[in-house]
Amino acid sequence: MERPNKDLSRRQFFNQSIRGASACVAGGVALATLARAAKAGGDSSVNPFSYDVERASRVDPGLIKYEQVKRLSGLAREPRRIAAGPGDSLYIATSTGVDILHRTGAKLAQISTASAARCVAAAEDGTVYIGLRTHVEVFDRQGRQLSTWEAPTKKTWFTGLCVGANDVFAADSANRVVFRYDRSGKLAGRIGEKSQERNIPGLIVPSPYLDVKLGLDGLLRVNNPGRHSVQVFTPAGDLEFSWGKPSLAVDGFCGCCNPVGLALFSDGRCVTCEKGVPRVKVYSAERSFESVVAGPELFRENGRPGQVSDRSDGTLGGLDATVDSQGNVYILDLVAGDVRVMKPKA
Amino acid sequence: MNENVPSSQQPSVNRRQFLRDGTRIAAMTGLGGLLGLMATRSSGQGTVWQIDPQKCLRCSNCATHCVLEQSAVKCVHAFAICGYCQLCTGYFEPEPNDLNTGAENCLCPTAAIKRSYVEDPYFEYTIDERLCIGCAKCVEGCNRFGNGSLFMQVRHDRCVNCNECAISKVCPGDAFRREPASHPYLLKTMSH
Repeated sequence: MERPNKDLSRRQFFNQSIRGASACVAGGVALATLARAAKAGGDSSVNPFSYDVERASRVDPGLIKYEQVKRLSGLAREPRRIAAGPGDSLYIATSTGVDILHRTGAKLAQISTASAARCVAAAEDGTVYIGLRTHVEVFDRQGRQLSTWEAPTKKTWFTGLCVGANDVFAADSANRVVFRYDRSGKLAGRIGEKSQERNIPGLIVPSPYLDVKLGLDGLLRVNNPGRHSVQVFTPAGDLEFSWGKPSLAVDGFCGCCNPVGLALFSDGRCVTCEKGVPRVKVYSAERSFESVVAGPELFRENGRPGQVSDRSDGTLGGLDATVDSQGNVYILDLVAGDVRVMKPKA
Repeated sequence: MNENVPSSQQPSVNRRQFLRDGTRIAAMTGLGGLLGLMATRSSGQGTVWQIDPQKCLRCSNCATHCVLEQSAVKCVHAFAICGYCQLCTGYFEPEPNDLNTGAENCLCPTAAIKRSYVEDPYFEYTIDERLCIGCAKCVEGCNRFGNGSLFMQVRHDRCVNCNECAISKVCPGDAFRREPASHPYLLKTMSH
């Protein structure tokens, strides 16, 4: 009688051993792969507490209606404000005074000041008004100092200037007011202060970025960063209207306190500059969002942590802008210390 | 004593007394100076870890790398710098549904920031350090958009002052440094 084959033959034993060993090796490799994948997924470089503004850091390319045609560098240290003057020359307030550039970037002149210039405006006749922290200095077109205007308040911190045919307007962010001077330096009014009688809610300026611009329509545009709006005043100080809303979306003003800078086209359209998520946009004369001049992609350094408020006195982050008679927008990057020339796309 | 000299003409302090008193005073002065010097040196030698707020990059490593279960690094608030914003980007999510204290609107993962009304449109924000885990999320929001009144500091009622701080080893901004124990904090001051 043949014995039932309950025991393994030597060949079967080897075959099954090899199969078992192969399965073990395959399983081990699979586990190692999974472990590696899991480790990659839990990468320690991923910050579980990140402050996520990624959504706002990219702008729909269809909304960007301008293109960079030039980048002007070589400015003096710590530029803060930019303004266009006669002949579309550029006036840039810096830590040492004001750099005057041709729109091509060639340096035309420099006006030195005793302390940092924080804002600047140039009149049609060539007179240059420079806002230092506590006062305004006036220079003629040759750079000779004509006069100094002291502020009527204590703790003044001038951060915005504009000039019209008969008036100079100086924005004092510390006192949350815009002063109206005549061209001789005589104080003629205070604009923007909270007043129930005049139905003015008041300017909210958490950080020193109050700006003022005078339109060809004779009305003043003043940013109200704490209320995420632009307010329109008459030179006499009456509030006409305001517009703007807080939003990380492209049609609003992001963060706690934006916009930080303004510029006006001759047709009444308004350019706004924001910090935190650095971007420059255009709003129509009817106060609706129109287009993007430059998105955060263009200002990587400006939006990076550690670049905005932790240097010097907190006023060296963000952007400022001005426009020339051709409709080009000049964007001053306070962190990179240069100017980007943005031309409307054809 | 010279007995021939009238008592009214004798000096009130003789030479021996003068020398003895002078030596005593000199010894006391020297001892005082020595003690003062020792006290000054002993306090100057003690140092503690601290974060330079100007270098801090708000990376959140303070929350995850401290040897303590809950980090000794906390968010602190310089009220003099604060804008008391209604829409505080250190308190609210970047895109809040509404400006109220609902958890879905708040940035802090442990609800360590308290928001209280001051007057229209101002609000005060205070840090409950018992809840703060040092993640710096609020600090990034405040610094990115606002004045940077929120910042990180090593709190010395918690820090065990390791010889080699585990957070300093991974700090990308090289913001950790030793400070004299007599002046252990690097506080921000008002600029506006």
